[in-house]
Amino acid sequence: MMRGVSKRIGSIKFACLSPDEIRRMSATKIITADTYNDDGFPIDAGLMDTHLGVIEPGLMCKTCGHKVDECPGHFGHIDLAMPVIHVGYVKEIKKLLQATCKSCGKLVLTEEDVKEYRQRMDTMEELGSDAIDMREFSKETAKAAAEKAMKEVCPHCGVEQKKITLDKPTTFREDGHKLTPKEVRERLERIPDVDLIPLGIDPGACRPEWMVLTALPVPPVTVRPSITLESGDRSEDDLTHKLVDVLRINQRLRENRDAGAPQLIVEDLWELLQYHVTTYYDNQTSGIPPARHRSGRPLKTLVQRLKGKEGRFRSNLSGKRVNFSARTVVSPDPWLSINQVGVPTFAARELTVPVNVTKDNIEVLRNMVKRGPAPVGLVYEPGVNYVIRQDSRRIRVTERNAETVAEGIEINYIVERHLMDGDIVLFNRQPSLHRMSMMAHMVKVMPGKTFRLNLCVCPPYNADFDGDEMNLHVLQSEEARAEAHILMKVQEHILSPRFGGPIIGAIHDHITGVFQLTYHDPHFNKAQTLFIVSKMGKNQLPEPMTEKGNEFWTGKTLFSTILPPDFDAQFKAHICQKCNKCEKENCQHDAYVKIRNGKLLMGTIDDNAIGSGDGKILDKIARDYGADRAREFLDDVTKLAIGSIMVRGFSTGIDDEDIPEEAKRQIEDKINNTFSEVDHLVASYRDGTLDQLPGRSLEETLEVEAMKKLGDARDEAGRIAGKHLGIENAAVQMAKSGARGSMLNLSQMAGCIGQQAVRGERLSRGYWNRTLPHFQKGDLGAQAKGFVKNSYKSGLTPTEFFFHSMGGREGLVDTAVRTSRSGYMQRRLINALEDLKLKQDGTVRNTADSIIQFEYGEDGIDPTRSVQGDAIDLDDVLRHVLGEHNADLLTRADERKIGGYATVEKDLMETISEEEEESEESDFDSGGEE
Amino acid sequence: MAQKDFIKGLQRKEVPEDIIDVVKDHYSNQTDLGKATAKDLVGVGLSEEQADVLLNKLGKRTSVVVPVKKKATGKKRSKDEPEEPSTPYVYEIPDKSKQYSVFEKQLFAKCEELKLLLPRRVILNIAHRLEGNDISKENLVKILKAANQKFMDHMMDPNESAGILAAQSIGEPGTQMTMRTFHYAGVAEINVTLGLPRLIEIVDARRVPSTPMMTIYVEKALSSDVDKVKAIASNIEITTVLDLADIETDLHNMRLFILPDARKCTQKNIDNPIELIQDKVSRLRGIVMVTEVSKESLPANVELAGEAGIGYLCLEPKEHSFKNLQKALEMVKASKVKGVEGITRAILRKKDDQYVIYTEGSNLREVLKINGLDHSRSYTNSIQEVYDVLGVEAARNSIIDEASRTLDEQGLSVDIRHIMLVADLMTNDGDVKAIGRHGISGRKSSVLARAAFEITAAHLLTAAMTGEEDHLDGVAENIIVGQPVTLGTGAVNLIYAPAKKGAVE
Repeated sequence: MMRGVSKRIGSIKFACLSPDEIRRMSATKIITADTYNDDGFPIDAGLMDTHLGVIEPGLMCKTCGHKVDECPGHFGHIDLAMPVIHVGYVKEIKKLLQATCKSCGKLVLTEEDVKEYRQRMDTMEELGSDAIDMREFSKETAKAAAEKAMKEVCPHCGVEQKKITLDKPTTFREDGHKLTPKEVRERLERIPDVDLIPLGIDPGACRPEWMVLTALPVPPVTVRPSITLESGDRSEDDLTHKLVDVLRINQRLRENRDAGAPQLIVEDLWELLQYHVTTYYDNQTSGIPPARHRSGRPLKTLVQRLKGKEGRFRSNLSGKRVNFSARTVVSPDPWLSINQVGVPTFAARELTVPVNVTKDNIEVLRNMVKRGPAPVGLVYEPGVNYVIRQDSRRIRVTERNAETVAEGIEINYIVERHLMDGDIVLFNRQPSLHRMSMMAHMVKVMPGKTFRLNLCVCPPYNADFDGDEMNLHVLQSEEARAEAHILMKVQEHILSPRFGGPIIGAIHDHITGVFQLTYHDPHFNKAQTLFIVSKMGKNQLPEPMTEKGNEFWTGKTLFSTILPPDFDAQFKAHICQKCNKCEKENCQHDAYVKIRNGKLLMGTIDDNAIGSGDGKILDKIARDYGADRAREFLDDVTKLAIGSIMVRGFSTGIDDEDIPEEAKRQIEDKINNTFSEVDHLVASYRDGTLDQLPGRSLEETLEVEAMKKLGDARDEAGRIAGKHLGIENAAVQMAKSGARGSMLNLSQMAGCIGQQAVRGERLSRGYWNRTLPHFQKGDLGAQAKGFVKNSYKSGLTPTEFFFHSMGGREGLVDTAVRTSRSGYMQRRLINALEDLKLKQDGTVRNTADSIIQFEYGEDGIDPTRSVQGDAIDLDDVLRHVLGEHNADLLTRADERKIGGYATVEKDLMETISEEEEESEESDFDSGGEE
Repeated sequence: MAQKDFIKGLQRKEVPEDIIDVVKDHYSNQTDLGKATAKDLVGVGLSEEQADVLLNKLGKRTSVVVPVKKKATGKKRSKDEPEEPSTPYVYEIPDKSKQYSVFEKQLFAKCEELKLLLPRRVILNIAHRLEGNDISKENLVKILKAANQKFMDHMMDPNESAGILAAQSIGEPGTQMTMRTFHYAGVAEINVTLGLPRLIEIVDARRVPSTPMMTIYVEKALSSDVDKVKAIASNIEITTVLDLADIETDLHNMRLFILPDARKCTQKNIDNPIELIQDKVSRLRGIVMVTEVSKESLPANVELAGEAGIGYLCLEPKEHSFKNLQKALEMVKASKVKGVEGITRAILRKKDDQYVIYTEGSNLREVLKINGLDHSRSYTNSIQEVYDVLGVEAARNSIIDEASRTLDEQGLSVDIRHIMLVADLMTNDGDVKAIGRHGISGRKSSVLARAAFEITAAHLLTAAMTGEEDHLDGVAENIIVGQPVTLGTGAVNLIYAPAKKGAVE
């Protein structure tokens, strides 16, 4: 076995095959166009000749004597009756013919010129030009020679040159006269080696005459296996079909030529042969019809096999299929730790881990083998599917032979045991857009048929549970497991390298739960406290407080129990109202969070503290206390949140959007006022009294003004509705704490949906001069152009519903277009940047060892470890050294820190005017995928 | 390649084509050409004037020497006399050294003394925060040391795949961006491409952005004066004949009449439209001015206008035909009266208490020639233009700026280091290269990596012809052959040598 021995392929050299080499490496010459005889056996000297390898079990390869799977296959060859041009090289051949003399074959440049060009190539190479630069340069050389050939006679033999043209795809003409491939080949033969170098051809790797084929290599049958259909018929591979064509025409051509057939017939056949060889290489050559299968489907020939997304390179070489993997639907399980994954027993019994038998584990493994491939019992116990002996023979363990195999186990056997709790596996969801799309989890075998995962890892995978499927890979080597352990475990990826903040964090109900636990510090009695604490698996209650002899616990004390004992932090919570002057410690909204020595002194814990994306506590723990502590914290938060939310119960429904009649009337009035304002605008537009905005046409001015007015109306409606929705409202709690939804969503549900837009403009398309036949032609009023006056709760009128669908459709189209466009951009980015790495000396270099950056990111800081992009957390350093007392310094610290975060504002009043489109989109994105 | 670059370089410097043709056969790059004297150039077949033009364009001469004068002096001098050494242009090196305060200098010295590797930016940050506070020397050292410790902890590990990190960090948020092309960025009147399309545009290194735009600042002294700024703006915005005048076609006599519109002219701050237009239009090819027009042949409304005292211009095509007339009309319509080529609109906006000019369309080279502007703050979103005018370092900064602005605007936070790496890669070899098959990816050293990306067959065929060798250094190639890649843990080899039996632990 090669295990542990790492041999590397040093390099791969590319070269052309000479006809000689083709014949030398050929196992047999192929003559007949037939494949199988009547008995179903391959015909000798046919395309399926057993010299070329075997694909049927039972047959033996005549070249190497091996059977299927052991014989790699061998090349054969076809001797072409007449030479034929290789399509891939027509451009090169044209270049060569144009640049060289027709009679002596030398470059049509003076000796000195050639010398100079070669010298310049040498200098270029010395200066470190890459292959592409050299190629460009040789193109220039060829062009210069070709131009000279047109103007002057050959400097070597004085022969006048004629104009060579190329009739696509493969016909060369000299002054209009056709050059046969034979003549082309003769000319190419005459070009001396020395003249090839300035033309960018390595004579050692490729003589130009080899670009005109005289022998065609026939790929081994393993490359083009035939398949047997259910009916017993054989279906040949496309390549075989094509080769049959080549052989058939080749045969006819030879016969006709030898029989002295008229020139015309020979030429026709020759051209036909050229066509077949051309399409054998590339069936998408422009200028000729593609060769087709009987059914009319174009054949997939050599180039088609390599190229494109489904081609060999991208589909089989850059990405490979693997064993020991599983895929199923995912579903949530908050009781799992973030770095665990629930694997169904069914899958666990199929996925195996190879274990080397040593003297220490032989007994354990023997027991496992005894259990066989399908142990029964209430508790899951790993069995064994295969045992591999020292001589690499695989023994399948079955219920029957389990006992015997178990007895026969020796040291150095390998036992392939089932997955068990604690095994490390890779877990992945496509599209794998960043490295957090594939992380290492610990297995927990569970009943059921889905993979279970903790909710905190949804954001990095971008997973939800509306039918998403995910993949799981079991690591097969110790080295892989070690790397996964150290580099890929979920907790190692809490901080995202994209922005240096946590990407794994609490979401949805976790945030609501902790919000309820800490907002305005509720009190819990002993029973409630016990309930919450029991969820966390802690066996000790924190110190109670007493009031009038009653013991009670506050939410903040409970939250403090999960913080590291020496943890300090201060920041503004998500519920912060963005007052003009921050009251800091005296904040009325309980939005100023201050933690000292692991005690939450004030403030509400919400999205800004523990959320995915901007959880500041999480961020700090992950950076200062390490990944494992952060994982522990997240798991605790999850459980605490569940406990807390279950004490109170939490639900939202349609009655959360109830607003009093009075408010409804206000909204109605406001909207009606705006309508008349818009009508007014339209009227002034009609009679020409509308003040034109600079740089805008009159129509545009009207649209801008109307949009503004209507936008304001929606905002106002939202504000009125918002006034009647207090923090005790569940939907408001979610929006304010950052758990889910926004005040904008809410105001659309309770107040008014607002203007619908397509391409940022009011709706205008549909019928002639109007959007729907329900309106007058040319009506520019609010409702005729897509303003939805109703709320989601009050329900839409038919026209409004239609307009809303129009806006919604744009969002859907947008998403569809975006995914493909951004996917391609990312592919290009990855391809361009994949080779860059940070070297030991701190520079960033590519594979050619040229320096891209002298110092990574101008300071060498890892963005993952950076403090929101900054190299170090200065406040921390200062407080650490100077202590708490230096109030002045610390105030400045707070100010800066709070201003420093660049996050999207979700608050209603801040951004309602511009975020119209955004909200429309968010309505749809939940249902968009899967 | 070099030749191509060389020619491109010359074209960029607006050297006339005929000169390029002569020169390219004799010189392979600009440095060679730069060293050549005018005499050398004449030697290779250029006229003296051409040689002069060329050297001027290349910036080897300081002042534009009037050709006539030059000729005269050249003749006087005997042939043997050496060429007058051209006086080199004295570049004023801008004083970039920032003035550091005493305290900042102290910190620098301290860091050096303690042999700390803190970057200047971090030290300045510390200085900024501590300045004016009473901090003991002891504590200062402590702070610096603590900061240094944190800094070292936060350094990136060697062999980290910085490139893939950057590509993922920029690519992943792409899926969250809007496709919506137009958005109003600050100025409601100007549409600017944003979101994903803009990001793709930047990464593609397109020659012309789909919505070129400039932000032009005016000199401090003028910037608060609306009228002055307006005047500058109107000189920047392109004004065509059609913007100033109505054009009347007289099919019968095959003539065009230009009738300046007084209202439009005052709007554009022009008081002598006739002269201006005449000056510009008379230069057009294939058009003749008609000076004397008999009264009878005047169309009715032209006559009216003439009587109103504004005057008119009459033109006709050189050769009378409807086709030529139509052509002439188009030419006149589009001919520029004043303003900067490419800038279709200029709009004023008040920013703080200064007026700033925003333009639709961009032409950095010409705008920088205009007096009264604060050139150091004026900005264009066309990366290619920045590269052409200010060079590759400026282009790199421009890429970083534009990309991070696009991402910020969408509310996506991406560490600037990732964008820097992309920008540095794009500008690594002296010009702006696109990310993609025509740029970086097409120039990879590995055949297999190139073949795996795009245009598979062509790469393999040329590789065979040129006998290329793939050394399997990169990621894609190693994956293809099934070997560990050379990044991260794959870049190091560790061998565990177990302690021999019986050896003392």
